Amino acid sequence: MAGVINIITDATMGAPLTMGLRFGTYNTLDANIETKLQTKNFQYQGFINSYNTDGYSIRPNSNSRVTTPIDRYSTTQQIKWDISSKTNLVLNTRFTNEQIQNEIAVANNGVTIYSIGKEKINDVNASATLNHRFSKTLKTSLRTYTTTYDAVQNLLTINGLPYRDVLNHNFKRIENQTDWDVSKNMQAVFGTGAVWEGVKSSRYDSEKVRKQNDIQYAFTQWEWKPSEQFTLIGGVRFDQNTQFASAYSPKLSMLYKLNPQHQFRLSVGQGFKAPDFRQLFLDFTNAAAGSYSVFGSAQAQQVIAKLDALGQIGNLFPNYYLLKALKPEYSNGMHFTWDWKINSRSAASLQLFRNDIKNLIESQQVGTYISGAQIYSYLNIGRAFTTGFEIEGQHRFNSNWSVNGGYQFLLTGDKDQIAEIKSGTVYTKNSQGYSRLMKLNEYVGLPNTSKHKLQVKLNYNSPKGYYLNVRAIYRSKWAVNNNNGNEVFDNGDVFASGYVAINSAAGKSFKNGISVLAGVDNISNYIDATNLPNLPGRTFYTSIKYQLQKINKK
Amino acid sequence: MKKNLTKIALFLSLGLALVACRKDEETIVVPLSAITVKDLAADTVTGLGIDGRPQSAGTTTYYSLVDNKVIASTEVASTKWDIAFSSTKILVNSGTSGPGLGGAFVFKGLFDDLKTIPADSSFATDNSNAASFAIPLGSGRAWYTYDGLTTLVSPIAGRVLVIRTATGKFAKIEILNYYKGGVTLPATASVNDKLFKQRYYTFRYIYQANGSKTF
Repeated sequence: MAGVINIITDATMGAPLTMGLRFGTYNTLDANIETKLQTKNFQYQGFINSYNTDGYSIRPNSNSRVTTPIDRYSTTQQIKWDISSKTNLVLNTRFTNEQIQNEIAVANNGVTIYSIGKEKINDVNASATLNHRFSKTLKTSLRTYTTTYDAVQNLLTINGLPYRDVLNHNFKRIENQTDWDVSKNMQAVFGTGAVWEGVKSSRYDSEKVRKQNDIQYAFTQWEWKPSEQFTLIGGVRFDQNTQFASAYSPKLSMLYKLNPQHQFRLSVGQGFKAPDFRQLFLDFTNAAAGSYSVFGSAQAQQVIAKLDALGQIGNLFPNYYLLKALKPEYSNGMHFTWDWKINSRSAASLQLFRNDIKNLIESQQVGTYISGAQIYSYLNIGRAFTTGFEIEGQHRFNSNWSVNGGYQFLLTGDKDQIAEIKSGTVYTKNSQGYSRLMKLNEYVGLPNTSKHKLQVKLNYNSPKGYYLNVRAIYRSKWAVNNNNGNEVFDNGDVFASGYVAINSAAGKSFKNGISVLAGVDNISNYIDATNLPNLPGRTFYTSIKYQLQKINKK
Repeated sequence: MKKNLTKIALFLSLGLALVACRKDEETIVVPLSAITVKDLAADTVTGLGIDGRPQSAGTTTYYSLVDNKVIASTEVASTKWDIAFSSTKILVNSGTSGPGLGGAFVFKGLFDDLKTIPADSSFATDNSNAASFAIPLGSGRAWYTYDGLTTLVSPIAGRVLVIRTATGKFAKIEILNYYKGGVTLPATASVNDKLFKQRYYTFRYIYQANGSKTF
């Protein structure tokens, strides 16, 4: 969810001052300054970034932009204090301020409403970590993290109705992790923690009421290395939630090094994805577009029953009676990896994978108002799978040139739909509009997934500091729209066509700490405004970076 | 002996009945072939309102399955029409819609596979006061789905509208298309095409004039 961002900082102290400036198409300007200072017991790191863009629209004459104009400023400060040789304290703060210009078009039942306005976001994070080493074999870490995310969207629709959307999201976490080297070939990790999360939003009932979820969790992981060749890792995590069912996530993995060239890894595990606040608490009626409503599962039955008592409900569908507390989405996965170091210049790896997902959370229509407008909520209904393989490889031709790349083959499917097709209850239409039974080999799986993906990157580095890279990405066609009269995706539906995008960049690093770079993304200018709104046409950029050479006297 | 006689008599009468049946069928089996109606306009769009909604005159197109022709809307209070169309709404001559003996239900399956209307089928009638229609309104409920993203209407595959006509006879209908020319527009079609080429029904139907439920 919004507001929860991992803090990734560079712990290794490098140059005391780094400055960078990047400028590109659509007046995109990205500037940053980084400073690092160090004394015997203190380390300080500061970072300031400013990002501005005009945004872009790749639809001619469209009044809604894909990337909207943004002005964003963010700053990060980090202090590390070595209290003693065994104890240290790390404090971190991060602040982001963002303003986004919105021009939005919403369509429902043939009604399109245009709105303009502004969205203002403030995001504040703070964390403190206390690390202590008791002995050579035992260390512990106490981590706290708090964040608050505030977003206000003020829009004016073309028929003059103001629209205000407020979101305030709080997240607090405290966690302890202890690492214990049990013996020479056995390591253990124990941890426990708690999360308090709350959201106030005009989309959830009222912006004054805080919707809350508390989580308590514990985890442990054991690593056993009986020989140089063999490693076994087992772990389990337990999550208990106030708003939805609790979950176990066990994991087991094995690593076997046959010889310096070949190693094999097998891992099996179960993971889960918790329902989000939207799926639990949303209480949203889109008056601007057909007055349809979406209610989160935690209160849908209550709210709809109340509306029914007021005589506003036209029809309740059978799945209305199936509404209950959401379960997390579970995924059972199995992965097998073979790493092959062919020689000092080349390496390759093969990965086979299979994931089975159950309790997929999907939004479903559960009824209608008297007016015919739809009412939606969320249910655990889907069962799906993804399976396939990945091949990766890299090769160094000489000290200047190298290449790396990867290929993925992916099959996906909805298990319930496959069962329906097999039972002969799924139909499709021919070009005349006549219905006929659909065959299993016409089924294409989940939408927005491509069977083939390929990526190749060519690198050049010269001893004088010149460098060049060219990257090509290919993605095969994927299903986007279901328009041939059934609920499943098959050969007769609408597909986005496969495409190739090529990016390239070249630059030079000078000995005095300055480096310059110029690049162009999407060289062939491939545009598919309907299906790839996030792929702008050909984009140019140039950047300059200055790194003050080390003057630290240690 | 008496028992045997009865048996023989029964056997004979059965045989006669069988012969009679076969003869009967021979006379009934008139090959019923489907009639296709193309581009039947149903309250077509006249423009786009300032609220973004398609605008139209709000008309209804009345149709006689018996005579395969459009019936003037002035005849709404008669049994001359069997079925009527107004954008995605389909009416039958019954209840609040008309004075006929009409009714309908939605059959899940193939048009050709529906050879006899099952005996336990129940036909619903129109009641506009309760927003309840024999052929239910709304996306995904009776004969079409509406995609909010592409704003296109597609007939659902494997749905047959089983109709009781204004005079109490039976017909079956498959809606083939909702767009002019009988081809659903691509998702990338212009807003103008999506507006002005919709609400043109192409459908095929079989009307059984002899009053039986077999097609």
